[in-house]
Amino acid sequence: MKICVLIKQVPDKDSSLTIADDHLTLVENNITWVSNESDNYALEEALLLKEKHGGEVIACTLGKDSARQVLKDALAKGADRGIFISDSSFDNLDVLSLGKVIASTLEKENFDIIMSGLQSDDQGNSQLGLILAELLNMSHGSLVMGTEIIDDSTIRVKKELEGGWFQWTKLSLPASISIQSGINSPRYATLKGIMMVKKKTVDDVTASDISSDALESNVTINKIYVPDKTKETQFIEGSPEEISEKLVELFKNDIKVLN
Amino acid sequence: MTEETRQVLDVDVLFVGAGSASLAGALHLKRITGKAGLDISIAIIEKAREVGAHSLSGAIIDPRTLNELIPDHLEKGVPFEAEVAEEHMYYLSSKGKFRFPYLPKSMSHHGCYVASLGQFTRWLGKICEQEGIDIFCGFSGSELLYENEKVIGVRTGDRGIDKHGNHKSNFDQGVDIHAKTTVLGEGTRGSLTKTLINKFNLMQGKNPQVWAIGVKELWQMPKDSIKPGYVAHTMGFPLGHDIFGGAFIYGMKNDILDLGLVMGLDYKDPSIDPHHELQLLKTHPWVRSLLKNGKMIAYGAKSLPEGGYFSLPKLTVDGAMLIGDSAGFMNGQRLKGIHLAMKSGMEAAETILNALQKNDFSDSTLSDFQNRIDKSWIKTELYKVRNFHQAFDYGLLPALVNTGLGLLTGGRAWGVLNHLPSKNGHEHLTKLDSGSQSGGNGGNSKYDQLEFDGNYLFDKVTNVYHSATAHDEDQVPHLHVQDTDICINRCTEEFGNPCKYFCPADVYEMTGEDNNRHLQINFSNCVHCKTCDIMDPYQIIEWVPPEGGDGPAWVNL
Ligand SMILES: Cc1cc2nc3c(=O)[nH]c(=O)nc-3n(C[C@H](O)[C@H](O)[C@H](O)COP(=O)(O)OP(=O)(O)OC[C@H]3O[C@@H](n4cnc5c(N)ncnc54)[C@H](O)[C@@H]3O)c2cc1C
Repeated sequence: MKICVLIKQVPDKDSSLTIADDHLTLVENNITWVSNESDNYALEEALLLKEKHGGEVIACTLGKDSARQVLKDALAKGADRGIFISDSSFDNLDVLSLGKVIASTLEKENFDIIMSGLQSDDQGNSQLGLILAELLNMSHGSLVMGTEIIDDSTIRVKKELEGGWFQWTKLSLPASISIQSGINSPRYATLKGIMMVKKKTVDDVTASDISSDALESNVTINKIYVPDKTKETQFIEGSPEEISEKLVELFKNDIKVLN
Repeated sequence: MTEETRQVLDVDVLFVGAGSASLAGALHLKRITGKAGLDISIAIIEKAREVGAHSLSGAIIDPRTLNELIPDHLEKGVPFEAEVAEEHMYYLSSKGKFRFPYLPKSMSHHGCYVASLGQFTRWLGKICEQEGIDIFCGFSGSELLYENEKVIGVRTGDRGIDKHGNHKSNFDQGVDIHAKTTVLGEGTRGSLTKTLINKFNLMQGKNPQVWAIGVKELWQMPKDSIKPGYVAHTMGFPLGHDIFGGAFIYGMKNDILDLGLVMGLDYKDPSIDPHHELQLLKTHPWVRSLLKNGKMIAYGAKSLPEGGYFSLPKLTVDGAMLIGDSAGFMNGQRLKGIHLAMKSGMEAAETILNALQKNDFSDSTLSDFQNRIDKSWIKTELYKVRNFHQAFDYGLLPALVNTGLGLLTGGRAWGVLNHLPSKNGHEHLTKLDSGSQSGGNGGNSKYDQLEFDGNYLFDKVTNVYHSATAHDEDQVPHLHVQDTDICINRCTEEFGNPCKYFCPADVYEMTGEDNNRHLQINFSNCVHCKTCDIMDPYQIIEWVPPEGGDGPAWVNL
């Protein structure tokens, strides 16, 4: 199996974010950057498949220079090599154009599987895996909570449906698979793994390496702001019996956590 | 997994902690061994997820050591914010502000640079890696390894253990890193350092180490309202004359202002709360005016060793040495330790080169480190201020007199005594029944006036949120309290549980009523300042590193 894992560098969810005065960007000098959470699960899933079936895991990121770190981390955990796509002309592209850049980079590698996290913690588009499947003519599975290789041309994936339901589906390879957080327990980078990083290669890709029709962005950001607080607290009064009755009612009809 | 399968990594020299002490030491060692024709392996382990994420300081950096280590640091892009452009020293009353009539030259910061220690260590770490030093982030040293009383390396902490102590599916057993010499650069109150000092009685015949705690906020200010390189220090309010310490206010680039308060961990009143003192400071009209229309963007706290020259432990044992804040190379009078930490690392490197050439890593060779320190400018600098902190036992005004007389007499206390003794910081705490404090179990009444409005003044939980601290909750708490019965009974009665107050991150909480009271430890709030380990009156709190990679994620502190 030749597997590519897409990993994005995003602001740490625990860092306190400050919106810049222009309301278009975040103040970057106080942000800690980390690998996107669900991408870590995707990497682990890829490494597990490799351990079971052999092959190669290649980590790929598109981002600013600081994003090299996510590749280093992936290599330390066991990815075999990295692909680093970076160019200032990619900075403000929308997800479709980014998909074209990545597809153009990955096309010649002929991957059996491209794994990505379900969505990035920053933009939350949740589209890249699907776009790549379309551009590279692969089958696609999303919200994946389990994988099983059947044979050289088939993979079974367990997809999360609503309300606690799951569905196993067979996909023909090559496939682009978007992984849901929680599918496995991501490993730690080991000392030996970190020492190996120096011996592994990372290929740099810039705009001149990309063969794609004109890249543009059809999405513009007009304003970034903290959502207005719309939460309402409801107080339920009455005797304990009345309260529990009303609660059950609410759980059933409003919040829909009981049937 | 068993002992037989535990992995062992052999290196020539291991540094614990990627602070400025270790980074400078490792870099210097790599270079001088290279020049001497030795190709050695050097590793640094760091408990933070990345270099710099657990670095917190002022900071005004004295470039003296950097000029020796990396003379072309400006070309190499050292991330200094600005050269110190103007400096002020004020005495604050609760509303007023008085300029000190005269700023002694030795306390001036002329020629120094305002910087973020975290940015500085990140930069230095990259240079180390470029020159072939392995830095392993997310690995804490959890145990020193011995062979016949000789230190042979460090065991890193296990990862992937749940709160009951069971292995999770991603369990990763700690590795034994064996080294010819292990250098402890763990910074303030190092956890391995503490065990080493106790095991070999390294403080024997020395003044006990005394610490201070620094609590700090970063403020994003409106454009051009704070000048990069602006430096102000204050004394007086809110600490008064009985508590050692003062505030610092520095201007960084991009309109960021550093605001911090340092106070001695040898105060008397157990209801003193360093976080609240910092909030009080912001009620001062002048400080408040400086912060006008700003926004607090980051928070952190860290202790620092203040004891000075007479509190330095014996620095070496067979196979190991202590550098930087782990040893206590901090100039309390100048509030500067970075250049000393780096220089001590470099002197350690020189000692190790000699040991490598003799192939002898016993104390008899390594102890030459002390001689090197004494021959270097470290001793000259620290010896001049050797009695600085001790005099604060007598209060602020006598101490200032002492500082003045010391300046005239090369550091003699009161102008006469060569060596003032001191006692452990926690031993200064007075019991509730002695009536010497304003608080009690209800907290200190001087904080009643604090209104945490969320704009200028913040409660601890809000501040901790801004330290970006995260610990996996499913692990064994890394704050070990030997006997919580003491907390619930004796301490409540005798001291009113000072842990509730001195912890700047709300880790310690007494919950329940009467017979059901218990100590709740919110370890995931911990910002790794080590104050509890230092200030607990019964010395039953043991700070050990949590799972590697956990803790604050500081960027510019
Ligand atoms: C509020 C405050 C203000 C200060 N202001 C100034 C100033 O203006 N100028 C100045 O020069 N100095 C200042 N200092 C002092 C200065 O910051 C220290 O002296 C200096 O940082 C010491 O460097 P170090 O390398 O010894 O320790 P540190 O910088 O503390 O680094 C130690 C490193 O070791 C890591 N570590 C610890 N234990 C372990 C373990 N068991 N395993 C793995 N890793 C571990 C830590 O995470 C940390 O990264 C200030 C200190 C404080 C707290």
